[in-house]
Amino acid sequence: MNAPMPIVSATNVSRAFQMPAGPVVAVRDLTLTIAAGEHTAIRGPSGCGKSTLLHMLGCVDTPTSGSLMFDGRDVAALGDRARSLLRLRHIGFVFQRFFLLPMLTAAENVELPQAEAGVPRVERLRRSLELLDYVGLSARAGHRPSQLSGGEMQRVAIARALANRPRLVLADEPTGELDEATGEQVAALLDRVNADGTALVIVTHDPAVASRARRILTMKDGRIERESAA
Amino acid sequence: MTILPFAWRSLVRQPARSILGIVGVAAVGALLFDMLLLSEGLVLSMGDLLDRMGFDIRVTASEPLPGQGAELEDATGAKADIAGLPAVRSVTSVRTETAMVTRNEIRETDALFLAIDGPTHPWSMVEGRDIAADDEMVVNRYTAERFGIRPGDTLTFSANCGGRAEAPPRVDFRVVGIVTIPFDRPRRAGGATTIAGLERACGGARAGAADFLAVASAGDTAAAMAAIAAARPDLRAFTNEQLVGRLQQGGFTYFRQISTVLITITMSFALLLITVLLTVSVNQRLGEVAALRALGFSRGRVVLDVFCESALIVGIGGCLSLPLGWMLATTLDGILKRMPNLPEQLHFFVFRPEALVVHGALLCATAVLAALYPMQLVARLPIATTLRNEVIG
Repeated sequence: MNAPMPIVSATNVSRAFQMPAGPVVAVRDLTLTIAAGEHTAIRGPSGCGKSTLLHMLGCVDTPTSGSLMFDGRDVAALGDRARSLLRLRHIGFVFQRFFLLPMLTAAENVELPQAEAGVPRVERLRRSLELLDYVGLSARAGHRPSQLSGGEMQRVAIARALANRPRLVLADEPTGELDEATGEQVAALLDRVNADGTALVIVTHDPAVASRARRILTMKDGRIERESAA
Repeated sequence: MTILPFAWRSLVRQPARSILGIVGVAAVGALLFDMLLLSEGLVLSMGDLLDRMGFDIRVTASEPLPGQGAELEDATGAKADIAGLPAVRSVTSVRTETAMVTRNEIRETDALFLAIDGPTHPWSMVEGRDIAADDEMVVNRYTAERFGIRPGDTLTFSANCGGRAEAPPRVDFRVVGIVTIPFDRPRRAGGATTIAGLERACGGARAGAADFLAVASAGDTAAAMAAIAAARPDLRAFTNEQLVGRLQQGGFTYFRQISTVLITITMSFALLLITVLLTVSVNQRLGEVAALRALGFSRGRVVLDVFCESALIVGIGGCLSLPLGWMLATTLDGILKRMPNLPEQLHFFVFRPEALVVHGALLCATAVLAALYPMQLVARLPIATTLRNEVIG
């Protein structure tokens, strides 16, 4: 059987930030590959470089050294526009604070990335309703974020992340703002997203959420300290 | 969702702030519109009044503006010389004096006494008919109201002809019509008759003289000017445009200078207002913008969103500013026209299509300039750092 094709490969990547007191290295000489359909959790204490790694994997940040390849393309060599397109078409983001646009309805929030990708209106409306149904919120399509609970907002954000059928979904503390029961529902939904074929990388503090992943990376001081399989 | 509806939703999201911006632009735009109307208004109004008199050339005895220099002593001869030119359609002698007008117990001491000799009369009929004999007169509305007269009544004029020493004779004129006289001052009595009628009232003083000759060309003003200059090199001729040009070089430039200063101030205010509103708005949603960028929105798209918000604020405010500006201009015009000795039909604020174009262009420039800084903020937004800061914050 062939090994799953890698979506994103980081080889000896480091990311340093220039601070007034001197450079701070958030990620050190890290090598990692995320393959299609994978379910990976990244754990570790605050400030260990989890989110920085996630941002590099999602092409919103570039390493200060090392090589990052997405679908065989060197991310550092891509211009801003090409990286935006890459994110739009191949990567979905789920944020801790949801970042739904408050002036748009749930359906419109899901529609937004599709509109940016040039999907025709009729098709994107159909896809938005389909995705809201997928996350169990078809009855809330016309509601604004202010009319939704935290769990519902995160489910809309997951639907938005899936809008352009990405190959990789990156979730940064997706249950961080939710209570335990709601976090469990959101984690289950993300499991389902992965089970349906989308590679998933979750950054989390929550051991229960991390334990759902097939591969768990524990980071410390910008390095992967331990890798374990569930 | 396309960019403009998206920007509209962003504005509606913060209604109080957006309304403040729109009202601010409407107020500034109204002032801008008024300043543009004022900058050329008086000159245009003056030109319009001159054109409405039915002549395109004025011939005087000396260089100064008509009515300000030496009189044409032999107006009859000059008129005959110029009337014979093929490039000239008609020539009318114009002479003005002041007079005392009386009827029953009512008296007006500083009335306009206008006299003409020629086929075209520079007034507009309101009621009755035009003069046809030397003892007939048309009067302005104020005179008709002041003396309670109608066509057919009689008015007595005592003309003050060139400041002569002896008391002027009292001459009766039969009023045959009520007219509007260009350059007539409000609340000033006035009437017009023939030059022969005025000479009768003057007892022969300044006989044959006129202030200027009003010439209507046969169609080609330049050709008529050249012909007059060749036929009577001792006289000076001015076209309406030259006359307006001289006024423009004189006191009327103050209005343009004042307008320019006020336009600069108002536009600076609009610029600051919109820049501050947009910058505050953008700073409050940096996390959202970073999230949109992470989701794949291009830098150009998020920058365009900010620009569209600016354009919507300025566009809506600009549209509201036009009726607001027009109402304000009408009110200000009424106030300024209360200044003494101004012709009743003269206006300070005059609409011209160019003012609309300049108004639109200046507001467009404001929308672009005001959006520059917030657009730069969005364009240079570090996505990863902003997302991280939003979580920490």
